[in-house]
Amino acid sequence: MAVTHDVPPRLDDLVATAHRIREAIESVIEGKGDVVRLTLTVLLAEGHLLIEDVPGVGKTMLAKALARSIDCPVRRVQFTPDLLPSDITGVSAYNQQTREFEFKPGPVFANIVVGDEINRASPKTQSALLECMEEHQVTVDGTTYRLDAPFMVIATQNPIEMEGTYPLPEAQRDRFTARIAMGYPEPAAELEMLDVHGAASPIDKLEPVATTAEVKALIEAVRAIYVSQAIKRYAIDLVTATRHSPDLRLGASPRSTLQLVRAARAHAALAGRDYVIPDDLQALCVPVLAHRLLPSVEAQGQRRLPEQVINDLVRRVPVPEAQAR
Amino acid sequence: MRLPIAAGAATGAVAITLYPLFQGGAWFWASLGVILVVTGVGVLATRYTLPTWLAPLAQLLAVWIYLTAVFTGDEAWARVVPTKESLFGLAKLVVLGFDDIQRFAVPVPDNPGIVLLTCGGIGMIAIMVDFCSARLRRSALAGLPLLSLFVVPASFLSDPLSWVAVIIGALGFLGLLAADGQERVSHWGRAVLVRRTPSFVAPRPAADPGTLRLSGKRVGFTAIALAILLPSLLPTLEPDPLFGFGVGNGNGKGGNSISVPNPIVNLRGELSLPANSTVLTYSSSDNLPRYLRLYSLDNFDGEQWTMPETRGRPDDLISDGPLPPPPGQGPSVPTSPVNLEITVSEEVRNMNFLPLPYPASRIRIEGDWRPDRDTLMVFSTRDTAGGLTYQVVSQEPRPEAEQLKDAGPVPQAIAQRYLALPENLPREVADKAREVTEAGDTPYEKAVKLQEFFTTTGGFSYTLATQGHDGPALTDFLLNSRAGYCEQFAAAMAVLARVVDIPSRVAIGYTGGTNVSGRWNVRTHDSHAWPELYFEGAGWLRFEPTPSGPAGQGTAARPAYTLPELPTAGSDEPTSQPSAGPTGSDTPTGAATNPRNPLLDRDFGGAPIVVDEGMPMAAKIGIGAVFALLLLLIPAILRWEKRARRRRVYSRPAVVVEPAAQGGGQDTGLVAVRSNRGQAGVTAAWAEFDDALCDYGISREPSESPRALARRLSERYEFAPEAAASMAKLAEAVERMLFARTPAETGSLREDVRLVRRALAATVSRGRRIRAVLLPPSTLLRARRLGARVLDGFDRLENIRISRPARRNA
Repeated sequence: MAVTHDVPPRLDDLVATAHRIREAIESVIEGKGDVVRLTLTVLLAEGHLLIEDVPGVGKTMLAKALARSIDCPVRRVQFTPDLLPSDITGVSAYNQQTREFEFKPGPVFANIVVGDEINRASPKTQSALLECMEEHQVTVDGTTYRLDAPFMVIATQNPIEMEGTYPLPEAQRDRFTARIAMGYPEPAAELEMLDVHGAASPIDKLEPVATTAEVKALIEAVRAIYVSQAIKRYAIDLVTATRHSPDLRLGASPRSTLQLVRAARAHAALAGRDYVIPDDLQALCVPVLAHRLLPSVEAQGQRRLPEQVINDLVRRVPVPEAQAR
Repeated sequence: MRLPIAAGAATGAVAITLYPLFQGGAWFWASLGVILVVTGVGVLATRYTLPTWLAPLAQLLAVWIYLTAVFTGDEAWARVVPTKESLFGLAKLVVLGFDDIQRFAVPVPDNPGIVLLTCGGIGMIAIMVDFCSARLRRSALAGLPLLSLFVVPASFLSDPLSWVAVIIGALGFLGLLAADGQERVSHWGRAVLVRRTPSFVAPRPAADPGTLRLSGKRVGFTAIALAILLPSLLPTLEPDPLFGFGVGNGNGKGGNSISVPNPIVNLRGELSLPANSTVLTYSSSDNLPRYLRLYSLDNFDGEQWTMPETRGRPDDLISDGPLPPPPGQGPSVPTSPVNLEITVSEEVRNMNFLPLPYPASRIRIEGDWRPDRDTLMVFSTRDTAGGLTYQVVSQEPRPEAEQLKDAGPVPQAIAQRYLALPENLPREVADKAREVTEAGDTPYEKAVKLQEFFTTTGGFSYTLATQGHDGPALTDFLLNSRAGYCEQFAAAMAVLARVVDIPSRVAIGYTGGTNVSGRWNVRTHDSHAWPELYFEGAGWLRFEPTPSGPAGQGTAARPAYTLPELPTAGSDEPTSQPSAGPTGSDTPTGAATNPRNPLLDRDFGGAPIVVDEGMPMAAKIGIGAVFALLLLLIPAILRWEKRARRRRVYSRPAVVVEPAAQGGGQDTGLVAVRSNRGQAGVTAAWAEFDDALCDYGISREPSESPRALARRLSERYEFAPEAAASMAKLAEAVERMLFARTPAETGSLREDVRLVRRALAATVSRGRRIRAVLLPPSTLLRARRLGARVLDGFDRLENIRISRPARRNA
């Protein structure tokens, strides 16, 4: 694709930095370029990512690789049924020397928080994440603590083995910008994995390729990406279509429109473009919208997944056209 | 509940078509009452689910009570309950009604007997319609009784029914069918499948019954529109049924029938008919030809001469006695009786007016013929003249020039009716009239001057290649073109005469024809129009402004009294014709020997008048084929024109969008202009590309973005690198124009569009390429979209009408 020369310099930087991060992650996760790209898109869109797949396909590895390739504080929480909200947010502990209560920050105080098997924690603990994710702050004992930017939650969950789990409620799913499935690797990629991972884990050798400041700058650059009125209308058309589809019991929320456009900005920036095109939105519709929708009884009866419904809708909603005369 | 009401409405709608049969409106209100009674009983029967056989009986009883109350209330008990006396009264009225129907021609007066019969008939039809639709649930079958009602006016009237009435009747039946359909659908009940619909999601069920209903209405309305419009487009049917007037009898040009001139002056068709068929033959007691008049038009509305409304009264039958005296004819002007025996050809259709010499005093003819008292036109609403032979006695006035000069003042009634001119008559026309008649002192002299103006001094010429006879055409004929045929001449002279205060009207009929073996033979080419002017004492006199002879209307002739310079004393046939076809040498005429009027000499051997006979059939077919070809090429031409226009736009030189910061306020405007120009170029190029896709039959999803489309085409059709680059450039240009902050700096896109077009063309077959040029689908699609928009507009109108608050229980 021809990179046009009126792109501001920092967009070029962005592309280069993002490329470095991608390469770093892909050195660990083979053959999952799309997933890596989407992960980066969510990071640049200041969103949170939900990775859903069967065990052993590299969910945690992806989260860890992303965290490692950026030189920033990373915390990992393994969610279990007995995990308490304070285990996430932190506790006020009594210091006997100073004779005062001291706040011990929880794992949420990091730039990237990896929540493993989030559906195993109790709803109470899950909801403790809500405030952090939406408002980038934690309130303990009446005191509010700001979280550093960038702040990204990468949660993983296992769609099978549902016994003893607490599926994420709609409200909480809505807070994740995108949901992706890793999928099994191609045979070739799996073969390469055997070669590389056979001797030692490559993640140990992964060096940070970007700093927090750089990521912040990238996020700033993404915010400046231009979204035309036509594109905004197209995004609304897409989201509205989910609300009117007879195959869906619950359509996408206005928050999802916001996140869709924000993610589209990041998607455009990663492609080196300073404006959003319909293709950006189309590429992001399934990962950004699918996990928020509830299929209708009929659609369930026909075993139609929300992903299929969205793909149908995208095929039906016309893109903005030049007014030809 | 819905069906009985719809059945009543349908009966009412069809009953409206009966209106031309009656003179008054009493029948309508009485019939409306009987329909309401039947409908009311039907509604009750549905409400209380009476047995199927009981409902019509109850309705019959109700109709009986209704008729008793309305027609023989005085003899009924408490004005309502039928008694023996009231029954006898009804029976008497029925007998009276049948008598009246036998006696009167349509339009009949609404006597109680006739109204009773009408009411009873409509009541029966209403009961049958209700029985078929609401009881038997066979609404389509209800069309049969409705049709029988519809046939009544159609069989009694020779004129076509008004199209408005036809539409109302058809809508009534459609309404009944629709109600039946709705009733049926509502019996299906509600859908069992229940889906929880979140309140914020607009409910949009998959199978919307509204859509079904809408498409049903579409089909219905389209059928009605086609039924009304199609016949008017087909040349073999009624030529102008939509916009015909009053008593018109259409020119039956189809089949072997011979057409009759239309009172709505339009004789050119008659005069230029390829087949010059014989309309009638006649013999006269003095063996001289006579003009035969069909219609008299006296109303000039500024556009056209139209016919007054004719009314027949039962006591006016021609068989009952002599015709009314001719208006204005006094004892001072001598008359001479002439007997004519006229035989109308059997092939003549739709001739409801008799061709007669003016003024006819007595006619012996079979059938129901009635005169119009003012104009002495003789017409029938039942019979036609085709194949009839009849005898006419005419008392022809033989005025002397001196008598006409001394004619008295015009009576008020005549002046009021025959001097009326529209307000908007052009001043030039009035000036012309005064200028021409300046030399004349009396109305008669003025009339003669007017005739001279048209035939000799005015420089007029005779041609059939003239359009129309309306207001502007009249001015043009008088002042500019000075070329026309009898229609224009007659209409113009009648108008000018009114300007100079001579009462006038236009007569339509036939000239005297040609003499074949002692009988006068009148053909379609003898169709003619002439003015009649009124002179007190002499009555209505014919004038002849149309040139005659080979260079004019062949058989036209000027009456002797209109040529005052001639020694008229010796002429014993005032309306004499310059005569004679090849065999007519036995008929000498004054006018023919007039050395000053060579035009009046008729010389037509065999083939009658010099009219444009048209071209040979092969040439006609050729021209038709060329015309059809041109019609077929319209989409191609439109497409070509559009493409050329777009190419001009996108071929403009490169547009450089300068940074606005560099320039001052003026430059910013310039940048905006340039930017707009650039956008127009990109838009035009993309539209052209889009149409090319459509023309080559390459599909495109509406959800496909420019970039995705470019990629798909380049990959699927394996474009050459240049073409692929051009494709990508085009897509990026339109993408940037639509979505980027600043549009792309594109140069002329002409080469890119050309490359892409060529690449696309290479992917399709030769046949498709030819079709893309000759019948471009993109243009056809556009036409279809236009049609769809029109239909959508209709649908929106529909929705406005049917939208209403949802009912709780349907």
